[in-house]
Order: sequence, then structure tokens, then C-alpha cells
Amino acid sequence: MLSFIINNKEICTDLPSGMVLLDFIREEQHLTGTKEACREGECGACTVLVGTMCPDGISYKACASCILPIGDVKGCHIVTVEGLSGDTLNTVQRLIVENNASQCGFCTPGIVLSLTGFCLTSETFAYEDAIDALDGNICRCTGYVSIRSAARCLCEELRHICDNKNGRIPALIEAGVLPRYFLDIPARLKALASCSVSADTSSKCSNSNTVPVAGGTDLFVQKPEELRAAHIAFLSRRSDLNYIRAGDASLFIGSAVTIEEFRNSPEVLRYFPSMKSDLLRHSSHILRNKATLAGNIINASPVGDMSIILLALGARLVIEGKDGKTRNTPLEEFFLGYKKMAYSCGELVREIVIPLPSNTLFNFEKVSNRETLDIAAVNTAMHINISADDKIVDLRISAGGVAPIPLLVRGLEKFYGLKTVPDTCLAIADTVMNSVTPIDDIRGSAEYKKLLLKQLILAHFDTFGIRQVTK
Amino acid sequence: MKNNDMNMHVRGASIFVDDIVTPEGCLHAALYTSRVARGIIHSLDISKAAAAPGVVAVYTHRDIPGLNQVGHVSKDQPLLAVDKVEYIGQPIALIVAQTRRQALLAAKLVTADIEQLEAVFDPRVAFERGMIHGQKSILVKGDTSAAFAKCKYIVQGTQSTGPQEHFYFETQRALAIPEEHGTIKVCASSQSPGAFHRHIAEVLGIPQSKVEFDIRRLGGAFGGKESTAVWVVAPALAAFILKKPVKLVLTRNEDIFTTGKRHAYEYDYKIGLDAEGNILAYEVILYQHAGACADISIAVLTRSLLHASGSYRVPNISVTAVSCRTNIPPNNAFRGFGVPQGTFGIEYAITKAAEIMGVDVTLLKHKNLLRDGDTLPYGMKLEKVNAIKCWETLDKQVNIAQRYAEVEKYNMTHTDTKRGIAVIPVCFGISFAQTALNQASSLVNIYVDGSVAVSTGAVEMGQGVNTKIQIIAANTLGISTEKVRLGTTNTLRIPNASPTSASTGADLNGMATKFACEELYTRLKKFAAKHLNHNNPDEITLRDNAVYINNKKTELDWEKLVAAAQWARIDLSCHAFYATPNLHLDPKTFIGRPFAYYSYGTSLTSVILDVRRGTYVFDGIDVVHDVGQTLSEAIDRGQVEGAVIQGMGWSTIEQIRYSSDGRVLTGVNAYKIPDIKFCPSHFKVTLLPNSDNPYAVCNSKAVGEPPFIHGLGAYFAILHALRAVRKDKELPSLPLTPEKVFMYIHS
Repeated sequence: MLSFIINNKEICTDLPSGMVLLDFIREEQHLTGTKEACREGECGACTVLVGTMCPDGISYKACASCILPIGDVKGCHIVTVEGLSGDTLNTVQRLIVENNASQCGFCTPGIVLSLTGFCLTSETFAYEDAIDALDGNICRCTGYVSIRSAARCLCEELRHICDNKNGRIPALIEAGVLPRYFLDIPARLKALASCSVSADTSSKCSNSNTVPVAGGTDLFVQKPEELRAAHIAFLSRRSDLNYIRAGDASLFIGSAVTIEEFRNSPEVLRYFPSMKSDLLRHSSHILRNKATLAGNIINASPVGDMSIILLALGARLVIEGKDGKTRNTPLEEFFLGYKKMAYSCGELVREIVIPLPSNTLFNFEKVSNRETLDIAAVNTAMHINISADDKIVDLRISAGGVAPIPLLVRGLEKFYGLKTVPDTCLAIADTVMNSVTPIDDIRGSAEYKKLLLKQLILAHFDTFGIRQVTK
Repeated sequence: MKNNDMNMHVRGASIFVDDIVTPEGCLHAALYTSRVARGIIHSLDISKAAAAPGVVAVYTHRDIPGLNQVGHVSKDQPLLAVDKVEYIGQPIALIVAQTRRQALLAAKLVTADIEQLEAVFDPRVAFERGMIHGQKSILVKGDTSAAFAKCKYIVQGTQSTGPQEHFYFETQRALAIPEEHGTIKVCASSQSPGAFHRHIAEVLGIPQSKVEFDIRRLGGAFGGKESTAVWVVAPALAAFILKKPVKLVLTRNEDIFTTGKRHAYEYDYKIGLDAEGNILAYEVILYQHAGACADISIAVLTRSLLHASGSYRVPNISVTAVSCRTNIPPNNAFRGFGVPQGTFGIEYAITKAAEIMGVDVTLLKHKNLLRDGDTLPYGMKLEKVNAIKCWETLDKQVNIAQRYAEVEKYNMTHTDTKRGIAVIPVCFGISFAQTALNQASSLVNIYVDGSVAVSTGAVEMGQGVNTKIQIIAANTLGISTEKVRLGTTNTLRIPNASPTSASTGADLNGMATKFACEELYTRLKKFAAKHLNHNNPDEITLRDNAVYINNKKTELDWEKLVAAAQWARIDLSCHAFYATPNLHLDPKTFIGRPFAYYSYGTSLTSVILDVRRGTYVFDGIDVVHDVGQTLSEAIDRGQVEGAVIQGMGWSTIEQIRYSSDGRVLTGVNAYKIPDIKFCPSHFKVTLLPNSDNPYAVCNSKAVGEPPFIHGLGAYFAILHALRAVRKDKELPSLPLTPEKVFMYIHS
């Protein structure tokens, strides 16, 4: 049996844990405010809040319910649009109405939830962060001008509560964002957990038929039917895999860490400050809240943003076998062919280890048809160590969308010891371009990807302040 | 006043088709569609699907009791394929099961033996082979050959614009419920109450009176729910045969892969100007990529033809337009209905002409703008032209010449980035070009407690038409808007309604409502005079929920008046009808007066191009748009903003890719519409002040489609920036994706 709370109501169900939350909400609970518009996490119309108990209270995240299995929200508080307001509109809803930020209304509940999620998590109520929180909510009617205005008003109205010492939830209740019942939710979730009779085995891989699922944001797009019937181990609930630790000249990232946690981690940003903005190019807020680094790797997409970043950074994977023993595999040796990996059924990626930078420069480039929430035509990362006398000491370049695998470009050692003058940069760019064999597909023609990769290599050098000629 | 529905939208309380509480035992339908773009069906095996879990029935064309036909204008589109298929996604069988999942899974088990035939995906090839819908259309004014001989500058060439997916958030869907006496009720997401009502009755083989077609609201439509009735008729068919409620809801990818789009166009153009830059002649051939069935394509094409001269005076013009029959899903209406495509041709031609002449294109545009007294190619003489007024209002705000000079200067001194701007004027004819469709009716019921219910044929799809009608009714009756309720759009109350499209929803249905309310007002005024023993009804007015005599408030308030009138046996219900006057268009020569009036506007779009990466960011757009005297500023601004972004999407990132065998490849994970970060950081909309319009209800102007044209500015602004990078190549087509931009610069 699965138990969780939806809005103000305890739920206990024996429906399959692979059923997606959107179906449960609409078909079983008849809460029709949450809309189905794509079932791939591409539009945000089905956004809900998922509140998870953590050591310091309850933490809410906005997620796409169309690709979120109910087994993954066991013991959580699910908030749909119906759970936000009583007789009067909550602050977010009121501001959307005041700013005329709704036309047909189909995307509106999702926007209300994403903005409410922003209220729960934003530290400073910066307007730009509110817009980032909406980067997964598409609207076909308004043109967004009015939605931006509503977001701006929201930030202005709520900025003062940053100073509230009573905690965010009481402050938001006072500000008319959340209803009162939110106060009792942590206690009710605890009660729910304690009365649950079955032992918590859902996150363990009990047999070989078990499918380990981390964020599920791609799996539930690709194979929703198979997963509905499958026995699933939900890795997101394993606290032993959810950590970010620095030490021993490396960052250690547990495989349950989400992209959004990684993007906001002070440990990560201390060493890789550009991740905060680089990873805004990765999917969208409501997907980054579920998607994990490990999942992005195991997905083995030749154009996976996280794989491309981690390849350049020289990351390695710690993989646990069926026998419980672990092995270390450099990421660049992990991808063998299209969707083929040095990984067998029953194994589990436990950890990603990223060497800490020392005097190195890092840059990530991505070009996609739409700037946000889109898959790259080409992405690439560069990690370079330049000596005091301006010579290349170490150089790692990854490239996505140009090979059957996320590629670490080989054969760059020949540039070690050379100065980063324009001719060298151009030679590097040409070498990279000539080492890839992209194909024509929906992301662009082979020729485009090849030429684009060259320019993006030069863009890395641009970003490092090494001036290039334009062509 | 704001859109009334918003208070429910933000709570998720608004009811869409899939939110209706379904009756016990409701079944779910899915379609099996063709995987082949053109072929002969030799056999069809539905046995596996029929035996699949939960499946109740599988229907083919043989099971249709009435006419197997949903062709909107021509009878060329079967509901379910008979012996041949003409596009990928063409419905062949209808699967009904206990759940939607079961129906969708079972649909995958149907197999068909289809002999593949050569298919055509290129409109020019289709044209060469004589594969066209209807006839070639030609509109001629003046003598272009003679005029070209006098031109100092002549530019000619070819260009193309791409298709666009509607991406309404609510996919195609309907719920059909059989009722007593062999009747059926169908609740659907449809813009066409009248036409879809007829399609359902025809396919079921029953009189229209036995079909109740009901529409509450749509989660967006943009034209995509106007003409193709397949997804509404199919569940009705199943419900009718099974005598059980049946619902059909398309998945997003089914919707993207199998429904019609905005028509792609190919252009052969030739423009000629004199030494001063006056346009003397313009010739254009429009090849419309229509798809396998005629659907509504010819009407779209006619509008392109009528708008081929855009916002400009063109003394000699020749427009040839052909609707090319290709093997893709039949394309249909999409916001703008051919006007964006028609306008594109001349905007592009002028842009090329300015290049040849070496002048600022904005000067050339301004010089040739339409003015009072000009006659359009189809013979309609213009009055109250606001083209110049819109341009100059914008110019005062942004100083177009200075902006142009600044961009030129910027581009001289920058190599990593280039800027571009484009000024786009809009002239958009309002009315259905098909004169017969310009009709609407309204039923206004006043209840004995003073509350009022209005029914019209208008469909609410987020554009706020119900709120506008509510305002019109309340203002006409002299009561507060809270007293007026708009219900669903229902064929039992309003028959034969024209589609809510061509931006005319509020114009037509608002005017019919105004007429009905005026009639009721007159009845009540007469009664009030009698009731108050006042002998002159003309001195009586109803306003602010009260009766006034010679502007003096009486004791008699609205509620008391209504109650007394009902007791005195006054009819408190009124049906009224409106047909836009003085419209006509010769279907052969295209001469006439097809439009009641025009909507105008001018905008300036600004872009920054990243030369290295071939990417671009729109940093600003300033729009001046003419909505007459607005019925609701909040609603009209929203319509302008939304249309502009949709137009910018069409111009830039919205690209549909097809496989070589005619399959749409760009599903929801690859077809990208504008998101919040695409929206220009500076976005200013000015509603043209002091505009009046005697040709529409309450001096307002239609607003749904015309501002879409401003979105063309995105394409032309990028072209401007691209030309600052290099001039030695042919300009890329629309949409100007980052890929095309990059390849223009770097290949």
C-alpha cells in the first residue's frame, strides 16, 4: 500500500507504484484542475508541489506530475491547485487575475503551482528567480508579458517575508499564499509513516526484475506502459545516495542528487560557479527538481548536458555490482556506443566523483532551437589548464550531438605546451570538428552540427578572454 | 473589465471537456491511423485489437450509419478511410475500450495491408502535376506589364514560409452521450458549433434536431478547431452505435502528428518601383501547401490573395494563387487565416527592393502606406485608414529613423554581435471573406428576478468573447455586468452558428446581442412608462439598474421593473439576428467589398544576433495597434501580446520537420513554441488612441488575429542583422531557426 497526502486529504492506495501521479490525481481523485497537455514534462500544465520530509522540516518542489510515479511520492505531501485556496484566492492566484495573466486557462494551474513553489523556496524573491521558476511552464495564449507582470508583483509583495524568523510556511500563510492546513502537514506525514505496516523496501533492488528509477523524467516519457507494470526501486528516496561532499581533491555526488540541488549547492558553486547559470540550460525547473546527474548519464543520450559537462571535468562513476562490491569507471570509458554503456543489469551507479579544479578554466556551451527547455543541437564543455606563461598544460573537450555517444574528444595532447594564440585555438577547433561525424536529425543537419561545434570551441576561448577572429 | 473566467482558471475550477464528470460506464475511443502517405488499402485486420483487454468495439467505414464524410467545404474527406489513404495520420479504424489506455494500446494492434503509391510533398511539384484543390485564383488590377516597363527598380525571386503547429493546450477532444428518443448530446472542444453539428448528424444519418452540440470553453484553438471535425464526430459515432457515453481525447503527439497546421507557402514574386521609391507594380504567385483534402484551404488562400498588397498602395497588381494538393494531413485555419502568408510576400519583396535601391526599408514602407481614398486590388475604396496614424504614433515613441541609424552604427563597430530592427505595418480586413458566414444570432432571456442569461453562437477559447458580450448586454440594458450570465454555446438554443473565427466572434455575436437587448430595452421602456403613468416612453431610460424619467431616478429599480413586466405578460426573452451589411465578393474575379472594415497597426521589433553561435535574442518590441474603442482594454492587450508572440514563434523557432516519407518528426520534444524567456524583455503595447469604427459593435474593432502580423518583424529584424554580417548570399526562408541563421553566417 502507498500512502501520501493530497492537499488536505490522506490517501492510501494499492494502485501500481508506476502509475503516474497525474492520472491518479485526475482519474482516481477527480481533481481536474491539474491538466494533461503533453505527458512528457514539456509544458508544465500538470505541475504540482511535492513536499518531502527532511531533517529540518518539509521541503516542497514543483514537479511535472505527468512523469512522476505515485510510488515516488510515498509519504509526501502533494499540492494541486485545489489545495491552495479556500473561499478567497491565494496571493499568486489573485496576482494572476489582477495582471490578466490567464486566457484560455489550461496552463494556468501549472503556473500557479510553479509560482507558489517559488514562494516556498526562494531566498530573496528576486524577479529573475521567479522567471527561472517558470521556465518549464509554457503558455500558448498570453505571450507571457502579463505572466511576467504577475511574477514581478509577487516578488514585490513578498520580499519582506525573507526576514520573517518564524519560518517560511507560517510566513506564507500570513501572506495569504498558503492555507492554514499546511502547518499540520509534517505531523500528519509522520503519523502516516508510522502507521504504514509494510517495511520500506521500495527503494531497494530486491531482484533482477526491479527497475531502478532515479528522477524518472526520461524513463516515464520513453516507457510509461512498461514502467506502470514494473517493480520499481525509487532511488530518490534513498538518503544514502543523496549527498554532495567535498574532500580529497574531489567532489562526491550521490546518485540521487538532482540537477537543481547540484545547481544550487554551495559546495558545487564554490568550485564551479558557472554551474548556476550553465544548468539553467538543462531542461526546466520542474524537471531539474526531479532529474538526477546519474540519470542523465545512464540515459546515455549523445547530447545529455550533464554527461557533456562531467566528461570535460574528468568525472568518474562509482558503480555498485550485484554483489555489493564497487568499481570505479572514468566517465569517458563508460559510453561504448549508442545507448550502450559499460554497465550491466543489476548494477547501480552510486556516486559521481568530480576532481576539484586547480587553476583550470571551465566553460559550457549549448545551442538549441529554443534557448531554454530544449535539447541541444550541439553542446560542448571545455576544461583547460593554462600555465603562467600562457601554455596549455591540460585540455579536455567534450562534445554532444555529434557522435553516437557523449564524446570526449581524443588526441588533444598534441596541443600541450603550445600558447593559446589564435592559430592554436583555431587548430584545436578544427581538430575537434574533424574528429566528429554527426548525422542529420530533428536537431539539425550534420553539416550544421559540425560547423557549429567548431564555433562553439572558439566560443570557449572567447569566454576565457582569448580573442579570436570571427570566422 | 477583465476576462470573467480568470477567477476560475486560477483555481483550476474551469470545466473543459475532459473535466466533465463522465456518466457511469463511459467508454473511451482512440483512432488507428495510416502510417503510409499514399496507398491502396488491400486489407485491414482488426481482430487483435478487438480481442485486446477492455476493448468493446472496433469500427471501420462499414459501420457508419450515415455519410462517411467530414469534408468541411468539399466532400473529399471520409471520416474513416475506405479503400485508399492519402496522408499519414488519416483515420482508418476507431477503437472503443473501457479506458483510454486500453483504447490507445489496442489501436497499436490494428494492422493494414496498404500498397504504397508515390506521394507528393512539394507544393510546386503538385502544381506541376495539376494536383490542386479547386481552381487557380487570379486577382488583377491595372496592367503590371505596362507598369514594369516604367519602373526604375525591379526585383524578383522566390521565397517560402513554413507551417506552424497550433499547439492549443487542450488537444482535440469530445464526449458524446446518447440520450432519449434516439438523440445524442456531444460536448466538444470546437470553434464551429453550426458546421460540426451538421457533420455529426450527417455521419450518424439522423436529423440535426436529434443532435445537441454543446461547447463550454476551449483550452485554446487558434483556428485548429474550426474545420476538421474528425475528433468530434468519431466519439459521437461510437456512442451512437453502442448507446453508451464515449470520450475521445487526442494525446499531444497524436495531435501534432495527425492534425492540420498553418499552411506553408511558396512565393514567386516580382516588384517594381519608380526612382522615388513608389511601388508601381507587384506580381506574385502563391503556392499553398494544402495537404490531402481541401478542408478550408481555399478560403485561407482567398484571404492571402486579398491581402497580397499588405498595407501598401499598389496601383498595378497581379496575384495568382493555387492550393496544392499534397500528401500531408489537410491544413486548416490558423490565426491570421492566410493573411500572414499573403502579407509576407510583399514585405519580403519590399525588403529586397530597398536593398537594391540602397535605401532604408522603413522609408520605403512609409512612403507606400495606404491612405484614405486608396483602392485595394479587389476594388474596395478605403476610408478611415489608420495606417499612417499607427505608424506615426509609433514613430513618436521610438523615432524609427534614429533607431535605424543607431543599428547601422552599432553594426559598423561590432563584429561579435549584430543588431537588427524591423518595422511592420498591419492592414487586416475584418469579416469572413465568405460573405454567407457573416451572420450571428443571440438569445437573451431576462428572468423574473432580474438576472439575465445570454446565449450566442460565439465560442469562448480564452479570447474573452463571453466577457465582451456580457459587457455589451449589461451596457445596453443599463444593468451591472454581474446580472448577466453567459452559458455554454449550444445548438438547441442557437442554431446554424458560424464558426468563432476570422476575429469576428465579438463583432457578430456582440451585435446580435446588442440588437436583442435593444429590443428588450424598448419593451421594458414602454412598459415602464405605462407602469409609472408617464405618457412618453422616450423620456424613460434604464441605467444603473434603475428606471429614470428625464434623467431623474425613479423608485422603480431593475428587479421591480422586470417582475412587474413579467406579471403584465411582457415577453422577457428575445432572439435577434445580425448579418454584416454591404458585403459581397465575386468568387471568380475577386472584385467586391469582402470586408466591413480594417484593423491597423505598426510595430518595431529589435533583435541582437550572436554571430559566433548563430543565435538571437529579441530585446524589444514596440507595438501600436488599432482596436477601435476597446470593449475591454485588459482583454485586447492580452490578445495583442499573445498574437505577437505567436507570430514571432512562427517566424523563428517553430519548425516542423518531416521524414522523406511524409511523417512529422517533430513531436512535443522537438517542436518548440516560445517560452517565457523567449519573450522580449522590452514589450510595449499601445492601443491606438482616438480610433473609432462605425462598422462594428460599440465602435470596437476585432483583435484576435491582426496583431499576429507584427510577429513577422522577428523574421525581418533577423534578416537586417544577417545582412550586416554578409550580403553575398540568398536570404533564408521563414522560419528563421538558429540553424538557418548559423548556416547563413558560417557555411
